[in-house]
Amino acid sequence: MSSVTIKNVRKSYGNLEVVHGIDLTIEDGSFVVLLGPSGCGKSTLLRMIAGLESVTGGDIEIQGRRVNNVHPKDRNIAMVFQNYALYAHMKVKDNMSFSLQLAKRPKAEIDEKVKWAAKILNLKPYLDRYPRELSGGQRQRVAMGRAIVRNPAVFLFDEPLSNLDAKLRVQMRTEIKELHERLKTTTVYVTHDQIEAMTMADKIVILRDGYIEQEGSPLEVYDKPANLFVAEFIGSPSMNLLKGEVTSNGVLLGEGTTLPLPPVHKAALGQKVVYGIRPEHFTFGSGAPAKVVVVEPTGPEMHIYADMGGQEICAITQDRVSLTRDEIFHLQPRLDKVHLFDATSGKALA
Amino acid sequence: MESSRPLRIVRDVTAVTVVGIFMFPIFWWALTSIKPISAIFDKDRVNFFDFTPTFINYGVTLFGQSRSQLAIDQGIGMGVGGAEAYDSRQSIMESVIVSLGATAITMAVAVFAAYAISRMMFRGRSHYLNWVLGQRFMPPIAILVPLVTIYKTAGLRDTDNLYMGYFGLMMIYALMNLPIAVLLMKSFLDDVPKDVDEAAMIDGATRFQTFRKVVLPMVKGGIAASAVLVFIFSWTEFLLSLFLTTEIRTVPVKIQTFVTSTGNEWGFIAALGTAAIIPSFVFILLVQKNLVRGLTLGSLKE
Ligand SMILES: Nc1ncnc2c1ncn2[C@@H]1O[C@H](COP(=O)(O)OP(=O)(O)OP(=O)(O)O)[C@@H](O)[C@H]1O
Ligand SMILES: [Mg+2]
Repeated sequence: MSSVTIKNVRKSYGNLEVVHGIDLTIEDGSFVVLLGPSGCGKSTLLRMIAGLESVTGGDIEIQGRRVNNVHPKDRNIAMVFQNYALYAHMKVKDNMSFSLQLAKRPKAEIDEKVKWAAKILNLKPYLDRYPRELSGGQRQRVAMGRAIVRNPAVFLFDEPLSNLDAKLRVQMRTEIKELHERLKTTTVYVTHDQIEAMTMADKIVILRDGYIEQEGSPLEVYDKPANLFVAEFIGSPSMNLLKGEVTSNGVLLGEGTTLPLPPVHKAALGQKVVYGIRPEHFTFGSGAPAKVVVVEPTGPEMHIYADMGGQEICAITQDRVSLTRDEIFHLQPRLDKVHLFDATSGKALA
Repeated sequence: MESSRPLRIVRDVTAVTVVGIFMFPIFWWALTSIKPISAIFDKDRVNFFDFTPTFINYGVTLFGQSRSQLAIDQGIGMGVGGAEAYDSRQSIMESVIVSLGATAITMAVAVFAAYAISRMMFRGRSHYLNWVLGQRFMPPIAILVPLVTIYKTAGLRDTDNLYMGYFGLMMIYALMNLPIAVLLMKSFLDDVPKDVDEAAMIDGATRFQTFRKVVLPMVKGGIAASAVLVFIFSWTEFLLSLFLTTEIRTVPVKIQTFVTSTGNEWGFIAALGTAAIIPSFVFILLVQKNLVRGLTLGSLKE
């Protein structure tokens, strides 16, 4: 059964439409990440699911029930906010149990649930503290505790980690993932960080300007980007995108450099295309010439920025290569990893 | 920021000087209140400390003692009169009632109004600041004459009905203070992130529960600070109280009656004036931190 169904949902602020008819199905128990650059409408979509924003057009269903006009508290959802949104004047345990108290649950049940949540989130020692006496990571865990005690059908997260420092972010990422594995509660998670999306999601939904550009598993969107936007957005360092023209020998980049075409493709001779190849999908030693610009050793691998046919590329190798600036070396794209996009529409051709 | 030593000295000296200049009148007033008449009216010099302190001025104004009696007891001068007229205990009571009442009315309305302006969208919401400033363009004296007539017609004069008189004075103080109180409360409420309201809403709180159980406790300090300010404005108001009431004599009006045809009772004026500062002073101390934040309209973030 699907947990959340979004049917042709639109949102306008005044005359400005910011979400343009989105269709999305979120399966029960899955972890779906809404990913996209700032201002693409991720939060708006999430807040419409939560009921914090009205829906201008279309329908939102949660567990098969149309909820367009249902109050947030009756939607069976819980939300974790970017800035935690804790109740500053309440102790941690009261923050977590506020919803249960409002629902007039028996005290024994409340205590038990709070204890259970505190155990899962390692918050036991902090139950009697105030939010101001906690670190950022602990605060975010309290916010999560507040969500899980209600045992909702859907968790909604809006960039929950972006206020944390880099190291803590990685740690909390794992914790949220673990929490999901453990509770198996359907989760919709908003972020603009593609690494977060890749590592956590069962399904990534990539949004741009209020449209869905692509949806699929992390590896699907990584391996088979549907268009230039996704190709560029997913992956770090991002995919090399080289402008060129299809000839009988391959794709001509200019200055006489030609890259080989993949065995199966839909590009016509003479068509203007963008040739996509991820930095890690080059074989060193043969193929097209490139001139070194910068070499960045990261430890496990070397990132080589170079000029190929007048366009900048990046190539990654795990071998220890010794290259210096302006040196010419040769790169061969792995044909099974090559992407072709139409230069005007940006749609994938292979 | 770390500043150099000479700069720090200059800064400290300036601060002390400025505070000194502002505090001097209060100091002088307090000093006058414990001077005997002979020291107050010293034609030949400015008399700072060359006198025997007396609490006679406080005794008369705050404790209802008879001045002539006290004077005779202490062997200071003769022929002083007007015993009852200087007993200000009734005035202090009246001032307390009016000021507390006005503060309660103002704050009750202000927190709701400020919450609405801070959280809800409606027409004219953004013009609020202009309205507040507009209120301040007109001095109260400009509306005094019509106001007195209106109060008379509406039966809000204390000469017609004492309770209505109290109520009338509280209402006009509340009206005067409302704009600034709302503005202050709005700045405190704006500091509470909207996400908190939304979190409470998702947690199942109604709008009113959100307001009462979540937002209001988070602005407790702000409410106290705003209330203190309203209290002080009401406590020190003179003009409206003078014209709108006759039986009710708030402290500022009472003090003014010490200026008599037979002379100004400087000792009593100073004593009652000094005593009247005390509540404001104590309250301000209690809410100082929040008040500074509120008056800068939230621009001082820690
Ligand atoms: N209350 C509003 N009134 C008018 N426009 C709004 C409002 N809220 C959001 N928008 C617009 O809607 C668009 C989507 O906003 P949204 O907050 O969903 O973006 P986002 O993808 O969450 O971005 P970010 O990563 O910066 O949080 C933006 O262009 C924004 O300017
Ligand atoms: Mg957002």
